[in-house]
Amino acid sequence: MNMRRLPSVILLAVIMAVVAAPTVAADAAMDPKAAEVMKQIDAAEAARKKAASVESEWTTTGKLIKKARAAESKGDYDKALGLAKEARLQGEIAYQQGASQSELRIPAYLKY
Amino acid sequence: MSGHCDGGLRSNIEPNCLEKREIMKKTLNKMAILLLLGGVVFTAQATTPEEDRAAFVKHYKFRFPDVPMEEYPNGAYAIDKIGRENWEAIEEFPPYEPFIDEGQEMWDTSFANGKTYKDCFSDGPGVASQYPRWDKKQGMVITMALAINQCREANGEKALKYKKGPIVPLLAYMAFESRGQVTNVVIPEDDPRAMEAYEKGKKFYFTRRGQLNFSCATCHVQNTGLKVRTEVLSPSLGHTTHWPVYRSKWGTAGTLHRRFTGCNRNIRAKPMKAQGEQYRNLEYFLTYLSNGLELNGPGARK
Amino acid sequence: MTISRIRLAQAASGLVLLGTCLVAPAGASEGSSVVEEGKGIAFSRSKGNCLACHMIEGGESPGNLGPPLIAMKARYPDKAKLRAQIWDATTVNPDSAMVPFGLHRVLTEEEIDKLVEYVWTL
Ligand code: HEC
Repeated sequence: MNMRRLPSVILLAVIMAVVAAPTVAADAAMDPKAAEVMKQIDAAEAARKKAASVESEWTTTGKLIKKARAAESKGDYDKALGLAKEARLQGEIAYQQGASQSELRIPAYLKY
Repeated sequence: MSGHCDGGLRSNIEPNCLEKREIMKKTLNKMAILLLLGGVVFTAQATTPEEDRAAFVKHYKFRFPDVPMEEYPNGAYAIDKIGRENWEAIEEFPPYEPFIDEGQEMWDTSFANGKTYKDCFSDGPGVASQYPRWDKKQGMVITMALAINQCREANGEKALKYKKGPIVPLLAYMAFESRGQVTNVVIPEDDPRAMEAYEKGKKFYFTRRGQLNFSCATCHVQNTGLKVRTEVLSPSLGHTTHWPVYRSKWGTAGTLHRRFTGCNRNIRAKPMKAQGEQYRNLEYFLTYLSNGLELNGPGARK
Repeated sequence: MTISRIRLAQAASGLVLLGTCLVAPAGASEGSSVVEEGKGIAFSRSKGNCLACHMIEGGESPGNLGPPLIAMKARYPDKAKLRAQIWDATTVNPDSAMVPFGLHRVLTEEEIDKLVEYVWTL
């Protein structure tokens, strides 16, 4: 190869890479369901963390999210969606559970 | 109310009763003031640690009128006759004995820098009744397990894991050397953060958690003496006297915070970190409840 | 609850049952398979795990944290109340130790429906 043309070849390669990158990303995002799954998994993760912030996280929620991710990576979007939604609901209820007890209440069965 | 002053605590009858009378007096004073103010309505008033402890004692005495106070360090075996027979057979050849021996060896072995545990624990290995305690300088509850690791790190050694492994034999040896001491958790009045830590531990204890929605109190207060499957639920009085515990189910010995982890998991609540703030505060509260009870660690359980 | 009321409730439910058999014999077998499924959910450790806390006829190593599940039709003449108890007992009693199987999504709506059918036969 002619050495004087090398810089322009490199330049061309860089340009191609820059142009191609978003196209590749767009390819993955083509399936609108996959995007929806990721959105739901993120929402579930946020709900789980919110429950943890009031020390009220359940052991079941993280497991559901893990399963949702596994299903998503296998392309089983329907399953992933169901699991992620369940995880989000659990996270929300767990947060409610913790937040509703922010004040100590001594149960009636313990008499002072 | 005064019922449990005559029965129980062998070594502590006098101070407990005196304290109780103090509380009664204070309560009466408060009531008098309220009457003077003219029918002031008050809801859920904060209770003092001593009022908390008295409420637990009263509750269990009502539940188990035939169980003397000094039996509570034996956990479920204080109230479960069948379980007790098995346990007594196990105690003939204590499964925790090798741990005590191993722990003594650790205690006697010096660190790489030539120092030993004795340089941190100047009173020797039998110091379990000094923990958990409020440390004003560090602004936190210090448990014996934490003190061990602080000692190690101060001497250039790696910290040990908190639920199982080599910390267990060391704790077992120290517990064994502390047998016969009496639980005596103090909440110093010169630092309001100590009371805060106690209150946080209490809050943790009474908070319902996990998908199954239980609090510690649901099982160990409300339903103590009853069974989940075949497990008789122990009273919380005595929960802290006998650690570490050799548990048949574990096939080895483990720490109190490992037990907390298990009790949280069983109700599908994500456990907190062993020796993290939550569990240390919980230990502070839980151990306070056992004030006056004799230390009898290490223990053996199903 | 008095014995006579229990008897009355049992008699009443017996009549209802009899009526169902007379009117729709085909529906009965369908009903019993739902009951069977409900029993499976009740006994499964990962689902209802009712035996952890309740004595149930035919169940092994039950706990006694909750009351034995007997005479359920007499104790819950209204099936909806029984369902509500399983769904979330803390609305009636905030200190109830009962797991809120519905509210906390331990079981699905369908599973709870089947469970109620089974428990109501006890
Ligand atoms: C679902 C019921 C349940 C809940 C909720 C529960 N535990 Fe337990 N716990 C058990 C059972 C069962 C055992 C084993 C039998 C026994 O000793 O009570 C046990 C054992 C223990 C022990 C060991 C007792 C001993 O003698 O060695 C401690 C300590 C303890 N629990 C503390 C707690 C604390 C603290 C909480 C709250 C964070 C808690 N538990 C919540 C059921 C429960």
